[in-house]
Amino acid sequence: MRKTAKTTSRFLRRFWRGLREWCGDAAYESYLRSPGTQSGARPVLSAEEFYVEQLNRRYSHPNRCC
Amino acid sequence: MKRIFVIVVWLGVALLGAGAFGKIAFDRGEPLNATWFVVAAVCCYLVAYRLYSAFVAAKVLALDDSRATPSERHDDGRDFVPTNKWVLFGHHFAAIAGPGPLVGPTLAAQFGYLPGTLWLIAGAAFAGCVQDFVILFCSIRRDGKSLGQMAREEVSERGGFIAQLAVLAIMTILLAVIGLVVVNALKSSPWATFTLAMTIPIALLLGLYLRFVRPGRVLEASVMGVAFVLFVVVAGQWVADSPWWSRVFTLSGVALAFAIIVYGFAASALPVWLLLAPRDYLSAFIKAGAIFTLAAGILFVRPQVLMPPLTRFIAGTGPVFAGKIFPFCFITIACGAISGFHSLISSGTTPKMILRESHARFIGYGAMLLESFVGVMAMVAACAMPPGIYFAINSPPSIVGGAGDAAAATISGWGYPLQAQTMTDLAHKVGELTLWNRAGGAPSLAVGMAQIFSSTIGGERLLSIWYHFAIMFEALFILTVLDAGTRVGRFMVQDLGGRVWKPFGRTGWMPGILLSSAIIVALWGYFLYQGVVDRLGGINSLWPLFGISNQLLAAVALVVATTILMKMGRLRWIWVTLLPMAWLVVITMTASYQKIFDANPRIGFLAYAHALAAQIANGKIPVEKIAETHRLIFNQRLDAAVTGVLAAMILVLIVEALAQWYSILSRRKGPVLHESPYVATRWAANFSGAAHGDD
Repeated sequence: MRKTAKTTSRFLRRFWRGLREWCGDAAYESYLRSPGTQSGARPVLSAEEFYVEQLNRRYSHPNRCC
Repeated sequence: MKRIFVIVVWLGVALLGAGAFGKIAFDRGEPLNATWFVVAAVCCYLVAYRLYSAFVAAKVLALDDSRATPSERHDDGRDFVPTNKWVLFGHHFAAIAGPGPLVGPTLAAQFGYLPGTLWLIAGAAFAGCVQDFVILFCSIRRDGKSLGQMAREEVSERGGFIAQLAVLAIMTILLAVIGLVVVNALKSSPWATFTLAMTIPIALLLGLYLRFVRPGRVLEASVMGVAFVLFVVVAGQWVADSPWWSRVFTLSGVALAFAIIVYGFAASALPVWLLLAPRDYLSAFIKAGAIFTLAAGILFVRPQVLMPPLTRFIAGTGPVFAGKIFPFCFITIACGAISGFHSLISSGTTPKMILRESHARFIGYGAMLLESFVGVMAMVAACAMPPGIYFAINSPPSIVGGAGDAAAATISGWGYPLQAQTMTDLAHKVGELTLWNRAGGAPSLAVGMAQIFSSTIGGERLLSIWYHFAIMFEALFILTVLDAGTRVGRFMVQDLGGRVWKPFGRTGWMPGILLSSAIIVALWGYFLYQGVVDRLGGINSLWPLFGISNQLLAAVALVVATTILMKMGRLRWIWVTLLPMAWLVVITMTASYQKIFDANPRIGFLAYAHALAAQIANGKIPVEKIAETHRLIFNQRLDAAVTGVLAAMILVLIVEALAQWYSILSRRKGPVLHESPYVATRWAANFSGAAHGDD
């Protein structure tokens, strides 16, 4: 019983995390964790700056198909 | 023992698939149950994935998990982000799944359910999935380079330029034709027009929330947005019931076309966070939900497929679009089986986020299988309604003789019994003023979906809500493609213009933004307007033109893939990309030739122009319509020229590639492969991309 609860809870946690990554909710967290940011080579963007910059990049090449 | 068990299971899947396929292909008795389609498709996909994609992965591409992917080498948290393969599958699928696999099969249903279904499944397994998979692999090995860059480096400079022009051409025609689908879905429909119009303020509200209130909190904003959208779907009914508001939102085709053109310009020129991105978030969630609901609905309701396997229109006299089953079935299905546009996604964001080379099989091949399944579901939804209703919705008035009794008599005369009252009742049940002559695929698909949904939840009472939910779902994500495409087209125009005059190429320069947005919108807007005023219904000329350009882009991608495989020394397996490429060249060249030169005015652009000119010369056109007819003649000649240019582009590219292949095969020139150098991965074998610390 406890094992089932544990498996279910792990599945739900993973699903939730996957959903956040899929829709872009976790993008800023990934950015903060990335080696490129942690190296300190470039100034770290605020959540707002990152959001706008990310959207400008994403919608400058084909990202939605027919 | 375990091995024997696995073999037995896979043998069982293969036999089940073959049996279901046989039932679909050879059963000529009672109407078929849709379950057979689902079983045949799923079993074929499983076998194709297990065997063919594994063969391509192991033998043809020799995927190497010891090699670091671009996301590992350049991990910057922006473009290059190591991503869990399930999450990236979702990203990739959301990017490739557009209106094409819904609309194409719905239109191709005029040939009957069989040819379209066969091509959707076989085309995806042997052509579409292979293209997506191989191009993804090629791009991964080149640090995520685009198709144009790969064509330039691996085929020739000119090849790269042709690929860039082909992308701009397909984008222009694509945006026009999907705009036309929206126009035909919203025409004379206050409910649907109100619902879709309201998604704009909802998106603006979300945009402001995500920018200033809770930056980047996409999930919570999307949940709010989806709730608002569902509310306006229901509220549309009140608008339709109010005489004053209903008049405000009842727009003609031309008015809707101009509204869409203005919207496209605004979405391209406004900051992306304000309108485009929040609308995309809404669209992604609703798209995922609607596709899942449709699949569940088909499995739950198990509708009967009422369309015959083959109709009388395979000979080329179809009312929805003219042309014989070969090549027009393949051209019409397009994205559900193979889409050139996917090669742009496979050489865009996805290769920069992939964790391991082996994931390319699941993401590249697997996501396209799922897209094909969406196409099969659309085919089922379109074929589950009585054929008479299908033809009444999708035929232009010039073919069926208007609406009402005359049109019902024409359609019944084709052997598909229909009474005018049936259409009146159906329109009333779904809350529309009329369902006659709504070519474009969206309304008929919405009727099919609504019937399946309402049989699951709500019954006939909710038929109108489900119908407008389906229309909103289709129109919402069509407009998402339209605004995202216009913006990308704007960048392409700026890129090309910047070569002539440097300031124009600066993406942050406001006059450049406005002018390039106006140019790209004018390009597709012209074709959209032309489609709306076309006496043959617009779809008849624009959808085949879109199909041809899309399949030509796929041929470009496969030329690049074949050249790369040849340079890699995989000559033995070259047929994997060469055969689909040859097939695409044959169908696109045949279709292009017929669309330009066929003597039937409904097929050949020049023949139609000639027929219209003859009508003017014979005094059959009233004086007040002469100027309009001259414009129609010009449009037909323009369409013929565009088709000719597209065909010429692929021929030039093939000649370039043949010269390259000849030098490689004759060993005159050593093959120069532009792959990034091998770097060994430093990630552990069980690293899943989610292991950034929080599991």
